[in-house]
Amino acid sequence: MTKSNFDEFLAKGLEQKNNPEQMPEPQKSLWPGVEKAINSAPHSSIDSESRATRSGAWRNLSAIAASTLIGMCAVYFSMKPPEQNPVVQMSAYFEQQKQTLLVQYGSQPALTNDWQVQLQELEQAEQAIKTALENDPENAALLQMLAQVYQQQLDLINRVHQPRWQQI
Amino acid sequence: MLVDAQNAFADDTLDELVLRTQQGDQVAFAALYEQCHRRVYALCLRLLADQAHAEDACQEVFVQLWHKISQFNGQSRFTTWLHSVTSNIAISYLRKHKNWLQKVVSIENSGMDEAGIALCGDLNGLDKLILRLPERARLVFVLHAVEGYRHEEIATMLSMAVGSSKSQYHRAKKLLQEWYEND
Repeated sequence: MTKSNFDEFLAKGLEQKNNPEQMPEPQKSLWPGVEKAINSAPHSSIDSESRATRSGAWRNLSAIAASTLIGMCAVYFSMKPPEQNPVVQMSAYFEQQKQTLLVQYGSQPALTNDWQVQLQELEQAEQAIKTALENDPENAALLQMLAQVYQQQLDLINRVHQPRWQQI
Repeated sequence: MLVDAQNAFADDTLDELVLRTQQGDQVAFAALYEQCHRRVYALCLRLLADQAHAEDACQEVFVQLWHKISQFNGQSRFTTWLHSVTSNIAISYLRKHKNWLQKVVSIENSGMDEAGIALCGDLNGLDKLILRLPERARLVFVLHAVEGYRHEEIATMLSMAVGSSKSQYHRAKKLLQEWYEND
């Protein structure tokens, strides 16, 4: 194949971009969803309000905690040089958060006795993912998994140290 | 000069449908959807490279179209306006659906794999290759080469430097050529 073949292929492809016969089609009918949305917009907003009111205290607290973490992550990472390894950035931030929580809850009794075993299991998962990332440091799926395991550890520490009245 | 009668007729019909939709006629809007949904979906798919997301974004475009069609003042062709609305909605959809990790460490989504492309049905050769492009290169290529935006406009739409838009375009072209020659 030559460059001129490619140029021809590109020109032909772009020429056909708005030809209905050449356009991809959705795999399902999208109109019923559109019709429902334009006819029921006010109802759905009322529904979502009532759902929000019904949600429990723990769900609210979790949401606040998660959004705080995400916000703090954004600030933290925005201050770091962009070329730094994402695993190093994420791990450093997580360790700082984890230690802060452990110190904060240090003198407070936990609600379960086996939370440290659960934490160890999550730490083992963290190590396994980090080992995999050594071979493929930019792997987005592995980075997502690592972030999830970090989040689970923070959630666990928070959950077992919540006062009983918040465990709704 | 020859007149493209079929296109002229299609445009007239579309104009009528737009006018009736602006007056709140839902039947006309359904007909407008029938005429335009494939081009909207195609653009969403090219920009998002994900079938399910493209379907969601396509629905969002038509829902917003119903509410905002009064803003169309007829100064440009309706399809031009529709493409611009679709591009903006698809780009904001992409931003909304990035998870926190992608936002903070700027991980670029890779393009669609062969299996995903096969699920999208009958695609032409160029579309198959566009969907394989990594996110930034794909967005710039689609907006510049397919939709005709200038790099200055793309830079504003995607919050990137004009130079980055140009270099992503060349990156996209290079990848497309490489894949075309190797396939």
